[in-house]
Amino acid sequence: MPLTHRGREILSRVPGGTLQSTVGVGCEIVRHEELCVGCGKCAANCPSGASERGDFFDVNQLLDAPADSRRGALGGALRRLMRHEPDGPVEVPERVTVYRTIIYHDEKCLGCGTCARGCPAEAIEARPPQADAAPSTASAAAAPEGLRA
Amino acid sequence: MAGAASTAPASAADRKIVAFCCRECAYAAADASANARTPLPPTVRLVLVPCTGRVSPLHLLSVLAEGADGVMVAGCLLGQCHYREGNFNAVDRVAFVQRLLKSVGVEPERCQMFTMSAGEPPKFVAAVREMDRVICGLPPLPRSEAGGTRQAPLAVDAPLTAARGAA
Repeated sequence: MPLTHRGREILSRVPGGTLQSTVGVGCEIVRHEELCVGCGKCAANCPSGASERGDFFDVNQLLDAPADSRRGALGGALRRLMRHEPDGPVEVPERVTVYRTIIYHDEKCLGCGTCARGCPAEAIEARPPQADAAPSTASAAAAPEGLRA
Repeated sequence: MAGAASTAPASAADRKIVAFCCRECAYAAADASANARTPLPPTVRLVLVPCTGRVSPLHLLSVLAEGADGVMVAGCLLGQCHYREGNFNAVDRVAFVQRLLKSVGVEPERCQMFTMSAGEPPKFVAAVREMDRVICGLPPLPRSEAGGTRQAPLAVDAPLTAARGAA
């Protein structure tokens, strides 16, 4: 998505701010996958294409979700029915707007936090860049590896 | 009625099929067929919904997990939804649930979608009998009690607020 003139002006004032740089705008994006409903609003709002709404859904995301989350309710029902582990990702029909896997490209992320503002489930958190080392390590520990998929 | 229900052994009568029927077409057709005293298979339970677009994957899977052997969604003819495109949503959601079931080894035929207009009671009866024939031909749906947590009936909107409060 091309930047407007005003956007380029703002980006030029950000230290080290190029569109493709990892630390462009600088917020740290923490994704709480267990709250995500898979609607893809973050992908629709993302200016750099770092979030992408997938055409498939990994069934393990339902089974791994905690029971008190929205996906966990469906996963709990599925767990009672399942006869073997899921075969793999299932293709999602066009009109099923939730239950999609959101692909997150860490290297494209500007850290602008647009995804966090637009998230209806409050599953994405943008932490400001001036946070010192201690909170950032805590948040890295809070986000398991699977969230970066 | 010469369907499978009358010839199958007594265990077939224990099967349960839940039919989500839209108010405008399928339930009206069911009503008309009942007025004509057409017998329906004893396995089927009708659930009235305003539109099949209201039926979510959570409804369909919960019904199977809570004791039904099959679930069917009956709506208006494609393109004739009274809310314009609710039944297109339902078609895709049913297809999604079928794929979910298939990926964990459950027969996808246990969840099916049928369409009919309000003026076609025989088509509704035929759809229910077809579903009954399919479900009675399958073994009872096994479910494990250990894995899942039982959800309250109206918990469709509750988990999000609960999770938000915890976060």
